Amino acid sequence: MRLIGRRLALYSVTAWVAISVNFILPHLMPGDPIQTLIGKIQGQVTPQEIEAIRLSFGGGLDKPLLTQYFTYLSQLLHGNLGVSITLSQPVTTILKQSVPWTLGLIGISTILSFIIGTVCGALLGWTRGSRLDSLIPTATFFQAIPYFFLATVMLLVFGSDLHLFPVLGAYSQNLHPGWTWAFAASAVRYAELPVVSIVLSSIAGWMLGMRNMMITVVAEDFVLMAVAMGLPKRKVIMAAARNAVLPSIANLSLAIGLVVSGALLVELVFNYPGVGDLLLNAVQNEDYPLIQGIFLVITLAVLAANLLADLVYLGLDPRTRTETAT
Amino acid sequence: MSTESIEASGVVTSANVTSDVSVVTTTHTDQRTGGPAMGQRILDIRNFSVDYGWGEGAVRAVNNVDLHLNRSTVLGIAGESGSGKSTLVYGFTRLLRAPGVIAGGEALFNLQSEDGTDIIVDLVTASEKELRKVRWSNISVVLQSALSALNPVLRVGTQFEQVLKTHRRDMSKADRRARTVELLALVGLNEDRLRRYPHELSGGQRQRVMIALALALDPQLVIMDEPTTALDVVTQREIISKLFELRSRFGFAMIFITHDLSLLVELADEIVVMYAGEIVERASAQALYDTPRHPYTLGLLNSFPPMHGVRTELTGIPGSPPDLAQLPTGCNFNPRCPYAMERCLKESPSLADLGEDGRSVACWLHSGDAGVVVPVELRRTGKGKREPAPMPVKRDVS
Amino acid sequence: MKKLRIPRSPKVILGLCIVVFFLLLTIFGPLLAPFSPDDTSFAPLLTPSAHHWFGTTSLGQDIFSQTLVGARATIVVALVAGLVATMLSMVVGISAGYLGGYTDDGLSLMSNVFLAIPGLPLLIVIDSYLPVNSRSNSLVIGLIIALTGWAWGARVIRAQTMSLRNRDFVEASRIIGEKRHRVMFFEVAPNLLPILASSLLFTLLYSIGAYVTLAYIGLTSTSVWNWGTMLFWAQNNNAPLSGEWYWFVPPGVCIALVGTGLALLNFGIDEFINPRLRAAGLSSKQRRKLGLPRRQRLGLTPVVRSNVTTPAPIATTKPVTT
Repeated sequence: MRLIGRRLALYSVTAWVAISVNFILPHLMPGDPIQTLIGKIQGQVTPQEIEAIRLSFGGGLDKPLLTQYFTYLSQLLHGNLGVSITLSQPVTTILKQSVPWTLGLIGISTILSFIIGTVCGALLGWTRGSRLDSLIPTATFFQAIPYFFLATVMLLVFGSDLHLFPVLGAYSQNLHPGWTWAFAASAVRYAELPVVSIVLSSIAGWMLGMRNMMITVVAEDFVLMAVAMGLPKRKVIMAAARNAVLPSIANLSLAIGLVVSGALLVELVFNYPGVGDLLLNAVQNEDYPLIQGIFLVITLAVLAANLLADLVYLGLDPRTRTETAT
Repeated sequence: MSTESIEASGVVTSANVTSDVSVVTTTHTDQRTGGPAMGQRILDIRNFSVDYGWGEGAVRAVNNVDLHLNRSTVLGIAGESGSGKSTLVYGFTRLLRAPGVIAGGEALFNLQSEDGTDIIVDLVTASEKELRKVRWSNISVVLQSALSALNPVLRVGTQFEQVLKTHRRDMSKADRRARTVELLALVGLNEDRLRRYPHELSGGQRQRVMIALALALDPQLVIMDEPTTALDVVTQREIISKLFELRSRFGFAMIFITHDLSLLVELADEIVVMYAGEIVERASAQALYDTPRHPYTLGLLNSFPPMHGVRTELTGIPGSPPDLAQLPTGCNFNPRCPYAMERCLKESPSLADLGEDGRSVACWLHSGDAGVVVPVELRRTGKGKREPAPMPVKRDVS
Repeated sequence: MKKLRIPRSPKVILGLCIVVFFLLLTIFGPLLAPFSPDDTSFAPLLTPSAHHWFGTTSLGQDIFSQTLVGARATIVVALVAGLVATMLSMVVGISAGYLGGYTDDGLSLMSNVFLAIPGLPLLIVIDSYLPVNSRSNSLVIGLIIALTGWAWGARVIRAQTMSLRNRDFVEASRIIGEKRHRVMFFEVAPNLLPILASSLLFTLLYSIGAYVTLAYIGLTSTSVWNWGTMLFWAQNNNAPLSGEWYWFVPPGVCIALVGTGLALLNFGIDEFINPRLRAAGLSSKQRRKLGLPRRQRLGLTPVVRSNVTTPAPIATTKPVTT
């Protein structure tokens, strides 16, 4: 429990840092980007919307910085992330539409890739020295390919050349989004290629990490004891793997950030209507409120995923549960 | 050849006949050579060698060791770290990790069935499947650190459950639990420990769990690899006396590895002392303690305070354990031996019978060569440790 | 320090070759390029040929030249970012691990926060606020990437420093009264060399990825040729869907190759740090010759009766029993 308390504190601080970065950056940059932004959209949007944007950055620049900061925080608490200047909609409304797509796509592919990668890594580590070792350089190569590049190649080969998968978008344009079977089937179909390319890009990291841990754990006494006890091979491997997976999960915080960062760009390649695609458009149009809102949402989601990983870790490693007890 | 090997020739025959098939069945009453009933012998290791590495870089860690063990006896193996005592044991149980390789020899293990039939398995040539059958049901192992030997993420109860479930298919869940509770009680632990994880137990408790686990399947042979070294002295005593008690109750044979000779003297029936991968002395525990014959044994005895009795000055052995990759010519011990003679620098002594109640030693001092005077401390007889013993009769070597 | 033996593993040698090749390309690439990367005088969208090895873009630029020229910007930014980040993580990691106490608490919190914030989105936010002229500055971009990429190394270095802190030689120099920063950076740091090297490789890998990604989404100046901008133009002209593979495959493969080279080198360092990962050092052919199984199996120690060792000479004369 102490562990979870400590992690919660860390994540709260991290969230606070992320929120503050969002506030400080525009004030830090030369040339007053906020004023430039407001000047640029003057006349395109309503005065109320301009006021909302202004408030989301902390109110007027004439006020002291600290006052602006608290205005910014309270606006955030009330759910005002500003208004997107390109889409002329509150940022929260836009995010509500795109976040589910991203959550589904990246969530599913991360879990899939973690599971497959870990199982493969455990086997690679156990059978070290066998022919399977020749997979390692290939895996390393895949690991080094940028996510979006692999996605691009997949799109070209399987989507536009072989026509095996539908490309571009998250569902067939002939369907209306809703809770129907046809729509769900189409969504799954459209998610296949993005999921496969994210899994392919991220799997090698889990695999190689797990392999190294497995090799390290197999050298421990208790694995030898499992053999000495005459346990079947399956159980010996499980004994080692069960312990080897712990560091993988403990390092999830680092990895999730990287995987999410990479996967966001995959959305871009496939025109997937998630946060990543949105982010690119926002960046290209210098839509600061939207960029900041997306950054915040991504950070919070990653922190939540980290917390989840910590809980799983807690469940799997009894030693963390009795940290203070002897 | 020592007399032990001759005694064991009944087994030799059966093993030779079936060199292709490693499992062979003979009957209890087969006593062709007039030695003791083969049923008495549980383990026979012959010419056993282990190398670390292979090809050019190979280093011999255990060299041509002969060892045997009778049912319900305790064999102690003593030596410094690097003497090959653990390598020997992990070697013949085939548990030795890379780069260890068995370089030769055989390790015949007699799994006697209930009707008294001998079933002999050569562990060196046994398949993985055969080994799995022998492991834990017949040979179990207790390691130095129970903390690293127990799976850290499984409850104590689960680890018993795993073993029983694997080897005792017919046991019901309730039976398994009852057996586990019984085993824990044997080593003096309450059944509430079942729900604990290894890290939640004290060092002594963990070692007790390990011992209980080792006895779970009533094995004929339990191998103890320095089981008390990691514990404090008081816990050490408790564990040792518990082991005594269990052994007299269940009568399993035991191989006990330690560098602490004085501990072995109390526990073992017979002791072998190893140096640089070879056995340098073999004797009954009491004889070895009272009247050591090899200078190295004497050194080891002087390195540890006796557990009971008179306090003696601790002298230890000068020098450090040998580098196995660069052994000296002649006797391996010669650089550290205060009695080293010219012959010791040239020729390596092999283990020879001393004619004293089955003890043997590998040392030129006891060769009986003309002109060799055995130092007083290595030729005492009887129990008086400091009493000068009469000079042995010198004989010429023909 | 133990002697730093260069591992003979083929993986490491391959990695070394790749990395050296691309370092040479960084230095000589722009000189070797047959054309200017901006030269639009060729026919658009030519497929690879002897004249244009990698074909041309829709503007008629030579892709081969772009790839060669782009190597420099890409790798220079990665080097700047990687070196700065490693320095940063070394200073933070050693200070936190060696000084302990509140310094450690503060620095560890800082690195944990930076670890938890997803790097790329942060990078994008910072970068999007940068004035356009700073975006084309390799140094600025490199520094920003370093800012988001130092935390992992700091954590690893801190852990290693803590284990070194209580070793004899560190204790000794503390007792003879050496100054604190001297102990930290002249006694402790050299012993962290393998970890520092691994941390450098890791940040280089991250930096290349981050820079290329920034360029790909158009957040660096599009007038500076690097592999990311090449991909940016290819994507913007719909090259993937139009089947113009030769436009985006060369820069992508280059990025992947550099990454592979760095990762392979890291295998060598990993094996140096963690001896358990080291392979037995025998090829499968040698193993077969010696009668060893292809791989060691736990609990099945192999038997090699022909193993050649030189045992101590055994005397033929037996001592006589008394």
